[in-house]
Amino acid sequence: MNIHEYQAKKLLKNFKINVPKGFIAYTPLEAERAAKRTGDGPWVLKAQIQAGARAKGHFKEKNNKKISGIEIIRDFNEVYKTAEQMLGSVLVTPQTSNQGKLVSKIYVEAFQEVKKAFYLSFVINRIESCVTLLAANITDDIVDLAQKAPDSILRINFDLHRPIKNKDLTTLASFLRLQSNFLPPLKTFVQNLHKAFVHLDATLLEINPVGLTKTGDFVALDAKISFDNNALFRHPDIVSMHDDYEVSENILKAEKCGFKYREFEGGNIGLIVNGEGLALAVQDYLKQMKEKVACTLNIKGGVDEQKIAESLKIMMSNPKVEGIIINILGGFLRCNLVADGIISAMSEIGLNMPLVARFEGTNKQTAKQILEDHHFSVLTADTLQDAAMKLIEAMKESD
Amino acid sequence: MSILVDKHTRVLVHGITGMQASFHTKRMLAAGTNIVAGVSPHFVDGLYLNVPVFDNAKEAVLKTKANASLLFVPAQSVKSAVKEALEAGIKLIVSIAYGVPIFDVMEIHKMIKAYNAVLIGPNTPGIITPFEASLGVFPDNIFQKGHIGIVSRSSTLTYEAVLETTRAGFGQSTVLGIGDDMIPGCRFDQILKLFHQDEKTSTIVLIGDLGGTEEEEAATYYQNLPDKKPLIVYIAGYENSDDDIGYASDILTHGKTTIENKKNLFKKAGAIVIESIDDLSKVLKKI
Repeated sequence: MNIHEYQAKKLLKNFKINVPKGFIAYTPLEAERAAKRTGDGPWVLKAQIQAGARAKGHFKEKNNKKISGIEIIRDFNEVYKTAEQMLGSVLVTPQTSNQGKLVSKIYVEAFQEVKKAFYLSFVINRIESCVTLLAANITDDIVDLAQKAPDSILRINFDLHRPIKNKDLTTLASFLRLQSNFLPPLKTFVQNLHKAFVHLDATLLEINPVGLTKTGDFVALDAKISFDNNALFRHPDIVSMHDDYEVSENILKAEKCGFKYREFEGGNIGLIVNGEGLALAVQDYLKQMKEKVACTLNIKGGVDEQKIAESLKIMMSNPKVEGIIINILGGFLRCNLVADGIISAMSEIGLNMPLVARFEGTNKQTAKQILEDHHFSVLTADTLQDAAMKLIEAMKESD
Repeated sequence: MSILVDKHTRVLVHGITGMQASFHTKRMLAAGTNIVAGVSPHFVDGLYLNVPVFDNAKEAVLKTKANASLLFVPAQSVKSAVKEALEAGIKLIVSIAYGVPIFDVMEIHKMIKAYNAVLIGPNTPGIITPFEASLGVFPDNIFQKGHIGIVSRSSTLTYEAVLETTRAGFGQSTVLGIGDDMIPGCRFDQILKLFHQDEKTSTIVLIGDLGGTEEEEAATYYQNLPDKKPLIVYIAGYENSDDDIGYASDILTHGKTTIENKKNLFKKAGAIVIESIDDLSKVLKKI
């Protein structure tokens, strides 16, 4: 799960990490008030969308082509005007799709003068099963840098519950070209970030950039936090920060069932599977047949009939989907539950496109029987190839 | 012979009285698995499905000499169950639940290492040596005794690979999923080594995916083996990973862990790389 910058900064403040003073605003008038509360300016107006590279973004609307998602304002009279341009407009950045994201709130911050800025993040290192601190002397695209000049990124591995070693701290300071008098504040800053990362069950905590002020303090000028969905049960306060508008309706509906929904460009087949691997296998197979997938829904763990019915409804509400394959390899999940779910969805909303179900594994015969006993025109298949071929044929017929 | 489990494995099922656990315990027993004990706190009756049930793992191991733990506990309790099993002296642990918090997994790995044990999962269908021992949630009608060892990250692709081999007339020596969560319990090279040491396994199937470097390590290991058994590899994965884990991996590995890179490394090492899982039976027939 991801949250907005303003929410992340609020959380970081709880861990004694310096952030510039700022307030959230939903209207231009609120933006003006927020600006006044932060001080005499200059101010930074930051569009709150969950995507990076906002400063390199542009708005889709014609009359605000000149501004990006992050603007530094020196004249108070410009606050209202800029906020008005940002709010309710669609921001496209190098990290969003071409459709961009609607800006419904902006963060108004006191502009912080810094003498140095750099990149810091904590990430999960799945290769070494530990937490890793990444640092870089630039504040630009870090993934790009990792590919082109991997040596310019410093990596320090952390033990989950142990503070940074002095040796590592010295390495970090010299890498960032900081004099030794900055060691104590740097240590505190890194320590607090690490504490926040572990305490919050984060999978990513990225400060890009960290600013070093003239008074020698380290400040988080931006903040991005992603959380481990599997650990959210420990953090009800974070769950309540979820912004439903950040994800599409179908993803949201799927999430409510505990499922993962993905959309792809250019396809017209919907896949319901119980396991990502299975979706990939079907996709590879369809690719060989020159067919493309519009969306996949992974119902792994879905052990009740209602959720299965909901998943079919999600699929059918995607206008691009013209045919559906349900591919279930029942181990933990019993096939008959899926069949019951299909019947329940069908009796509620009917079936207006070809649907092929392939069951294998636990209770597969019962599942097949359930479908055959009903008069809905659900096709059944025995293998992956069989399922794909039957669907393609049925789709051609219904054209 | 087989790897890690066989008919002599004495299985302890944690959380045996749960709804899912009892369903699958019945099936495992029917498949011939030697389930010697169960753990379920505060269960008073003593026997469940004819299996003696104990309050904790230590007692169960003491009384029944169980030597493998199968965890049917919810994701939130996996860490404490692993600890309990290790402290009772168990060296092989299979954890079925998916969705174990990542930091819990990291702590589990440290414990496993300290006790010199083997962890399969979390988020795995388990491990099975057909008709000898089934520790997990495998469907029971797809296996056949034979000489193909299968190891995979994805649960469902494991089943698919089993179906392919059975359909082609080949059986399996041992089949296991190393775990489909971000950090798997054991690594591919570790399992490749075991399969190479196992006399009963003649051919190995490995199903990897995008992200991480487990596949790269396995390819390197295989390349350096003096005496290679045939290895068939399928790598699944979306071309563009949209989550932050992928993002971090990209930075950590300099964006090099692409599907193509993994495939090429295996090819270079002398493995057979297939483009679609249903090519498996064709390739097997050729070997």
